[in-house]
Amino acid sequence: MAYQLYRNTTLGNSLQESLDELIQITPQLALQVLLQFDKAINSALAQRVRNRVNFRGSLNTYRFCDNVWTFVLNDVEFREVTELIKVDKVKIVACDGKNTGSNTTE
Amino acid sequence: MAFVNPVPKLYRSVIEDVIEGVRDLFAEEGIEEQVLKDLKQLWETKVLQSKATEDFFRNSVHSPVFTLQLPNSLHQTLQSSTASLVIPAGRPLPSFTTAELGTSSSSASFTLSGYPIHVPAGVTLQTASGHLYKVNVPIMVTQTSGRASILHPIQQVFQQLGQPPIIQTSVPQLNPCSLHATTEKSQRIETVLQQPTILHSGTVDRKHLENATSDILAPPANEREIMSEALLSQPESSQYISLPGVVFPPQVSQTDSQVEPVLSVSGSMTQNLNGRPFSTSQQGAQHRHMSDTQLHVLKNRMFGCDSIKQQRNTEEPSNLPVSEKDSNSQMDLSIQVTDDINEIIQIDGTGDASSNDEIGSTRDVDENEFLGIIDAGDLKVLEEEADSISNEDSTANSSDNEDPQIDIVEEDPLNSGDDVSEQDVPDLFDTDNVIVCQYDKIHRSKNKWKFYLKDGVMCFGGRDYVFAKAIGDAEW
Repeated sequence: MAYQLYRNTTLGNSLQESLDELIQITPQLALQVLLQFDKAINSALAQRVRNRVNFRGSLNTYRFCDNVWTFVLNDVEFREVTELIKVDKVKIVACDGKNTGSNTTE
Repeated sequence: MAFVNPVPKLYRSVIEDVIEGVRDLFAEEGIEEQVLKDLKQLWETKVLQSKATEDFFRNSVHSPVFTLQLPNSLHQTLQSSTASLVIPAGRPLPSFTTAELGTSSSSASFTLSGYPIHVPAGVTLQTASGHLYKVNVPIMVTQTSGRASILHPIQQVFQQLGQPPIIQTSVPQLNPCSLHATTEKSQRIETVLQQPTILHSGTVDRKHLENATSDILAPPANEREIMSEALLSQPESSQYISLPGVVFPPQVSQTDSQVEPVLSVSGSMTQNLNGRPFSTSQQGAQHRHMSDTQLHVLKNRMFGCDSIKQQRNTEEPSNLPVSEKDSNSQMDLSIQVTDDINEIIQIDGTGDASSNDEIGSTRDVDENEFLGIIDAGDLKVLEEEADSISNEDSTANSSDNEDPQIDIVEEDPLNSGDDVSEQDVPDLFDTDNVIVCQYDKIHRSKNKWKFYLKDGVMCFGGRDYVFAKAIGDAEW
């Protein structure tokens, strides 16, 4: 099963909101839709995205629990070939990418 | 070479895949195709409305030339300004710092090659046509093509708006919803688009020049300041000010098409609704005669917009959220009242509690029993039914429920001095900038961390980015 990690993104949240709004969609059906979304976003990211990003900053906090890393970084610069992005604070949530496998928790 | 943002296409493809994937699911459940279409539209609308995909309409641009003239008197101001001229691009263009510009005979000319230029305050700009603009607030200078079409330049202008955070993170993003508002109200038009006076002049140039000229766009963050400092006010400005409204119809059209059928019941609302989804909140309370589903959908839409709005770090008129919430609560009452009124009021013997359960909507009963919330409307209806027992039940339940609901928060005064955490936990949830990804490897050496990440979605101040791989360094 694909990670449910990406449900808390713009795309995922808007999907969840839309599912909530449509009352004809039962909760079970909504869950199925979200599972389908998980598959689609995981495969799209794996296959259709090709760019690289570098970043540098200072680490404020780190947490490793249930094989999920959560970092909070400060004063980070994200560098892509095309642009540079600076943020004061960023939270990174990362699931184990070695085997895109059985972990279903976000 | 045009700057192509892969995010909109990626999102579109994901949406298509998901919709196709669940088409069969929907058919199995016996749900109409229309619901699937509604889902897709809702989803796309929300994604479009978020700042994540502002670049949907990005077009290629020419490269105009314009002269940047810096008055000598502002030399020091410029030097002390923290803003710098950075041209974000893959091109090897030099970046001009304000100091450089200040020292080099107070003038510099350079070419915009498709990327926005951030201009600090106190600068006078002169376009190729010779128009002088004095900039009192930091602005973003973008460029437009010389096309006669009004739409494209403005689209680019607003696309470029998506870039400012790159350069100046203090500038909030332009909220498309607030721009929606500008299409209708002239007051808002004036506030949002005083950047505008410059914008207008830029468009005047386009009339004269056939080739590309440059439009100057001020970040909306400074709109209020600009309002008081506008130097150029033209009578024709209203035409151009309405341009943003013209832009957004492509985006707004989806919203309109969704909302209009819902609100066909009340003609007076549709006018305001075009491009102003938020304005409906002010009139929502008046329409008690709308059907439940319509009200429900409308309310949810407003909630939906509300939640989107809350997620954004934007400048919005403060009255809007407040009025929305007030009228939403009004609508709550009106909905429940209509619910009860629409149902058959059964006035049986006072000892009959079960029939009241059937009468009242499930929602009301649940609320009374489990939440202890008694709305004014519910009380009124219950009283009308003259069922004292249900009232007693509800009051008894409410009093019972109050006790567990009282949350007693006591901070431990002892050992509070040992607390060094600086309250990290609430901060962790408070950030707008999130990256959701997978990790290949996380490495640490003493306090030096290295991150090898992959397949990530980044959201910075509402804007979305994606990466296949990300490598990072940080020191703890």
